[in-house]
Amino acid sequence: MKIFNSALMSFAVLSISTVTMYAGDIAGKISFDGKAPAVSQIKMNADKQCLSMHPNPVNSEEVVVNGNGTLKNVFVYVKDGLNKKFDVPTTPVVLDQHGCQYTPHVFGVQAGQSIEIRNSDPLLHNIHALPKNSPQFNNAQPLKGMKMTKKFDKPEIMVKFKCEVHNWMNCYAGVVDNPFYAVSDDKGTFTIKGLPAGTYTVEAWHEKYGTQQLKVTVSDKGAAADFKYAGK
Amino acid sequence: MLQKRAETPIENRNYSKFYLIFSGLLFLSTLWAVVDEVAVRRPWKTYQGEYYSLSAEKIREQYREAMAAVDSSAAAELSSQLAEANQRLESKEYKDAVKKADDLQLALANATRRWSFARSNSDAAYYEYKTTVHEGHPSENLKKKLDDLDNEIAGYAKEMADISTQLQFVNAILGGYKNTADSLDVALKALYADAHKLKSKFEGIKKSSIDIRQVLLNDFDKSNFGEVKARVDRCQTCHLGYSDKNMSDAPQPFTTHSNPELLTIHNPEKFGCTPCHRGQGHALTAGNAHGDTDHYWETPVLRGKDVYASCNTCHSMRQALKGVPYFSKAKQTLLESGCYGCHEINGFTNLPKIGPQLNTLPAKVKPEWVYRWMRNPKEYNPRTRMPNFRLSEEESEAITAYLFSIGQESSFKLDRPKGSYAGGSASRGREIFELVGCKGCHVVGDDERVRNARASSYDIAPELTHAAGKLNPDWIIDWIKNPRHYNPTTKMPSLRLTDQEARDIAAFVMTMRDDRPKETFTGDIASHEKIARGAKVIREYGCFGCHEIKGMENESKVSVNLSDFGRKKVEQMDFGDTKVHHTWYDWVGNKLKNSRVFQTERIVQKMAVFAFSDEEVSQLRMLLMSFRVDNPQPKYQELVTQRLTDIDAGQKLTIRYGCINCHQLEERGSYFGALLDEPAKGPPMITIEGAKVQEPWLQGFLKSPSPIRPWLKVRMPTFSLTEDEINTVTKYFLGLSKMNLELRDYAAFTPDPHLLPDGKKLFTEFQCIKCHQLGGAEIDPASVGPNLELARGRLKPEWVVSWLKNPEAIQPGTMMPGYFPDGQSPMPDVMHGDAKLQMEAIRDHLFTLGKKK
Repeated sequence: MKIFNSALMSFAVLSISTVTMYAGDIAGKISFDGKAPAVSQIKMNADKQCLSMHPNPVNSEEVVVNGNGTLKNVFVYVKDGLNKKFDVPTTPVVLDQHGCQYTPHVFGVQAGQSIEIRNSDPLLHNIHALPKNSPQFNNAQPLKGMKMTKKFDKPEIMVKFKCEVHNWMNCYAGVVDNPFYAVSDDKGTFTIKGLPAGTYTVEAWHEKYGTQQLKVTVSDKGAAADFKYAGK
Repeated sequence: MLQKRAETPIENRNYSKFYLIFSGLLFLSTLWAVVDEVAVRRPWKTYQGEYYSLSAEKIREQYREAMAAVDSSAAAELSSQLAEANQRLESKEYKDAVKKADDLQLALANATRRWSFARSNSDAAYYEYKTTVHEGHPSENLKKKLDDLDNEIAGYAKEMADISTQLQFVNAILGGYKNTADSLDVALKALYADAHKLKSKFEGIKKSSIDIRQVLLNDFDKSNFGEVKARVDRCQTCHLGYSDKNMSDAPQPFTTHSNPELLTIHNPEKFGCTPCHRGQGHALTAGNAHGDTDHYWETPVLRGKDVYASCNTCHSMRQALKGVPYFSKAKQTLLESGCYGCHEINGFTNLPKIGPQLNTLPAKVKPEWVYRWMRNPKEYNPRTRMPNFRLSEEESEAITAYLFSIGQESSFKLDRPKGSYAGGSASRGREIFELVGCKGCHVVGDDERVRNARASSYDIAPELTHAAGKLNPDWIIDWIKNPRHYNPTTKMPSLRLTDQEARDIAAFVMTMRDDRPKETFTGDIASHEKIARGAKVIREYGCFGCHEIKGMENESKVSVNLSDFGRKKVEQMDFGDTKVHHTWYDWVGNKLKNSRVFQTERIVQKMAVFAFSDEEVSQLRMLLMSFRVDNPQPKYQELVTQRLTDIDAGQKLTIRYGCINCHQLEERGSYFGALLDEPAKGPPMITIEGAKVQEPWLQGFLKSPSPIRPWLKVRMPTFSLTEDEINTVTKYFLGLSKMNLELRDYAAFTPDPHLLPDGKKLFTEFQCIKCHQLGGAEIDPASVGPNLELARGRLKPEWVVSWLKNPEAIQPGTMMPGYFPDGQSPMPDVMHGDAKLQMEAIRDHLFTLGKKK
């Protein structure tokens, strides 16, 4: 028994040290096959102020297929395999309302982490967040430069935000209970940094094309996770 | 042997063997009686023992956890510091200091004594000296002695002061030692405070005594002679953990109560358990207490959701109870199924008949259809509320004959000439049908979203999937244009359709053909015998309980009174030829599932067969269980206030008219939301209406609705309510908001001129008109908020302020954003940032908008 215990202890110590000693990244690409849907343009006619801010037409961000045949705005996160609680970052995530659009359109945030919502437009926006696991909120920001800080207590994929004043405005937040998430950029790539070695379920979410999962084993050299979406 | 005994002379006979045997038996039975009494018959003692050890174990476990949770390094450090401090109390320096302090203390006492003696001597010398001076004798010697003594006193005083200073110094040193040890001790104890608390709790449990726990309700019951009767409730003798949070996963009888919130308003220490759970309160074995082994106990324990039957004991006038959706749904099911049509039931009296009037059928349908419907309504519409009377062909024909005879005698005429339905477009009709809200109540085809959201086995309005096979198209026009023309008491509302819209909808309805195979009808419905027979059959089955039928106006309910059905004895129930278990519970369950199940050749049953779901059977059985006339003393019952009466009437009315199908009202409704992508864009929640709108406006709106919300495509129907019904709705809404109907002149509200400039500024800065329309006769469908010019004539002034304060709190999910998060104004430079004043200013500005009526 004693021998067994000490063996267990040393194993535990060893495994802890491996976890803390090595860390790898998950890097990947979201490729997009098939026919991309026609790019739709946002009509801001309902608010002349918004309209006047954009001399050129503004494209909808629902489906953004990059030039290299990849998909932008895909939220990728570690869904399973961490079995640990992570400290909540003290720096807030920033969500800006600018030109009657949300920037970013898709973003990640840790449960309990602050989200600073800013209005950079000289006009009224309201931020109506529609989470199901946490309380909803709906607040007005009538003045330029206004800020407010909100947070979601519980993880949720995804929380939709919308503006009731401008029906084209919406964005999505992936609320997760770990710091390992990323959003694909305009090259369709993403990197989840600093993961302990181990095997994880990684999920990708897209506003229109839904979710996909991959099992990814991360070693000290990191790992790759490529997702493929197809147009319908 | 017997012979022998008989032969033995009586004085020589010996009975000692018998005595021995019987006294042995007596001894054994006494022993058995003692054992049985002390051990066997007191299972609760074992339970209490088990409970205490379980509880102790859990607390010990928590104690261990609490100990483990203590920051061990901090504790170790504190204890080592404490040990060190205690050690220092043992050190030579400390001991020397203590000795020094003792010495100083002694020296001080000596010095003080010497000083006070010197003072006394000095007083004596002074007296002697003064006397000598007064007597004129020489006094120099005495003066010198006095001076010497005074010097001596001063010397002692200085000595005392010196010693005191030293003593203070030494004490300070000693205090340092002592205080360090004390504060370390306190800190260490604080670290273990939780654990210690658990430990003393644990000690307390170990000392708990094993005894009967009982609650005495001196005046809860009445005897059969109406006398007050006490009730003893000993459930807590075994159910020890009902309020113990540790016991949530413990087995019965120790489990924590499943609804602790309910116990905060029904305190078991005061009420006991049996008023809700029933059972034999004074019994001390599970079988007798629950009633499983005592079949003569009339109120066995209520299991599962049946416990809600007890809500009716003290809250019988409630149509809905907050937090008990099962109870509320059960009452809704009873109300919507129209049980009160045939049965007298306390609390469900003077209600309108649930079915349509049948006096003018020829204008609407053909005899073939009525015959088919009589044979089996569920065959035509499986979800109809009309139950199946399982009428024979002959009975069906006779009823059809009677109904058509009174129909032909009636003077009713459709408003438009024959054929005026023609000219509609079915495709446009379908669009209008979906747009104006018909689907809120009527199912068409396979779109069952509202039906599923309602989660009932029945529809509250006829399914129209096969309507063309039933209805006269000219009647459809007449009906949808003005439903109260054909049926003055109908709950079908008018949707204010234009003639063309009505024709379009009629065209659409007429596309819904009925191609299902059906029984052919060749009966004769004109003969007097048939008609007379029809009247007899109708009287037999009591059709007039649900339908208004000419010639049957004075009939009374055909079936039994259910107001005391919960107390009906199983001996009074006939189980026919069935093998159904002979219990009240099984009889009622089977009867509700199939009302004819206990029928035999000799015992004919008339109750129609419903098609309740299992859930609905359980609900109705629970309600039947609750129907008892032996209610507890009035002081235990909820006081029937005017407010409760108003709410009850309102709930019944809003269920009847299907208001809850489209609107959320209290904790139910809004089934229409199932048809929408965004439920927030559906008909509004109206629970708050009493606090929100001006009563005259509400009454006007109910009489003649006009659009308010631009995004709403569905129309608020015109229900053509009577004045009484409108008052019921008004008082219901006010009751929900805990307000009274009072005469109030809303036009008398005058905006405060001092607030108006700031109100206008805020109104502009907040950009209210980005969403709200302002002015204009029509509602602009592009805007997302109500026209603000309506506010002055519609909203209560105080409500506008509370709405501005936090719209989300009043109506979760509303599109209206909050401008004052946490009660803070976004504009601190206006009105010194006083949020409340700002809200009032905006309100006052709002009330200047639009024309004064």
